[in-house]
Amino acid sequence: MKYIPLIRLLVGRELTLRYKRSIIGIGWTLLNPMLTSFVLWIVFSYIFGSKLPGDQQYAPYLFAGILLNNFFSQGMLASAESIASNGAIFTKIYIPPQVFAISSAFASFINFLIGLIPLTLVVYISGTNLSWTFPLTLLIAFLMILLVSGLGLILSITFIRFDDTRNVVNVSLLMLLYLTPVFYPLSALSPRLQQLIGLNPMTSFLDCFRWAFSTNETATWGDWFYISIVSAAVFYLGVYIFKKYWARTVTML
Amino acid sequence: MKHVIELNAVDLTYRVLVNRSGSLKELIRDTIKGRVRIRDFAALQKVSFSVAPGEVLAVLGKNGAGKSTLLKVLARVLPPTAGTVSISGNIAPMIELGAGFHPEMTGAENVRFYSALLGRDLKVVDTRVSAIGEWAGVSDHMDLPLRTFSSGMVARLAFAVATDQSADVLLIDEVLSVGDVEFQVKSAERMRQLISGGAAVVLVSHDLGAVRRLATKAIWIEAGKVMEYGEVEKVTDSYEKSFLN
Repeated sequence: MKYIPLIRLLVGRELTLRYKRSIIGIGWTLLNPMLTSFVLWIVFSYIFGSKLPGDQQYAPYLFAGILLNNFFSQGMLASAESIASNGAIFTKIYIPPQVFAISSAFASFINFLIGLIPLTLVVYISGTNLSWTFPLTLLIAFLMILLVSGLGLILSITFIRFDDTRNVVNVSLLMLLYLTPVFYPLSALSPRLQQLIGLNPMTSFLDCFRWAFSTNETATWGDWFYISIVSAAVFYLGVYIFKKYWARTVTML
Repeated sequence: MKHVIELNAVDLTYRVLVNRSGSLKELIRDTIKGRVRIRDFAALQKVSFSVAPGEVLAVLGKNGAGKSTLLKVLARVLPPTAGTVSISGNIAPMIELGAGFHPEMTGAENVRFYSALLGRDLKVVDTRVSAIGEWAGVSDHMDLPLRTFSSGMVARLAFAVATDQSADVLLIDEVLSVGDVEFQVKSAERMRQLISGGAAVVLVSHDLGAVRRLATKAIWIEAGKVMEYGEVEKVTDSYEKSFLN
């Protein structure tokens, strides 16, 4: 509890620093996912647009996918870097590094919230409506914070110990992007592939989010159960691993 | 008298990989070839001492003797491999001042952030920001990014923040004074006040004159082992003599 003022400062720093020297500043937080989505929309709407089942719309489907996937990948990396690149602080002043990891995950959450504004616009422009279940998005985001900070804690240890794990992680994230139905509908795949991709927790995350926000997908109880279990387990594992290895790792900073 | 700092047979061992691999690739390659050897490097061995409120302990020793490691153990940054460290009260680590300063944030923002890192109450800090800037002589820069500061100004600001409030335990690593001549006098005076202000102080310095003036007792460490521990004059004398032989 005594770290709450520090967490607030860290979150503010994370949100503003990245764009400090740009003209529109934090506006990039809005523009970035929009531009990415726009490019992908131009490329893929012809291929996948007609493959969505029922009255689901491709534009909000894609944008929701990008938004939550960014929350995941950027949050995880920022969370890991917040510890790995602030060694100068942790070797001089006693602060639990977990505070930094959670602050970064929280900053990514705020970026995600800001991104919901243009997503809402896209939902209405494409002729659909927000679903009455949209407050459930907060529950999804909470689970994502757990997932992201848990993974961030594990990665921070490996980032400090082995420089090249950064490259491994970047490649893995790219692979994961293709193994997640971000820009393609699951129904466009063969049944075997669908089964495989269904194992990816991010698939369930996206299904839940798209369903809760604008009924632009179907989510089952199994999806909700799966993301809750995975997020809680990863968070617990991250805290445990970090605690176990930090004492040895801090001497390498 | 009740001791604030108490160290009991503290060991700190760094685990070093011989032909240390900084990358996963090298580690895997070396493991396959059976070349990974782990060697333990003992930075501190069986170090024991205690410091009571109002006492000033000077840590003497050559470069690499383990002085900074010792301060990091006291700052609770490095957990000891063996032995016990007990410290009560809040700790003000004055070790390489300005940790966490960011060039893109303004002087005032950096003051708040650094203070928060040091665990201070931000409500109190907010009332002190302009006074801190003034004391450091950078008032007109407080709303500008830190990258517009000269390195001397950064050092002065860091010193001003770090020494703005005292604590129960002060850990001081070679920062008895900073800046140009004028500021050195001012900062040395403030440091002297802090040190004699009743806190339990651990001081690392190569300035034996300052050590004799400020410290009440001293510990001399060599290669992580305690050579002598006791009254400041006695320990400083034998430390000095070790150079003459």
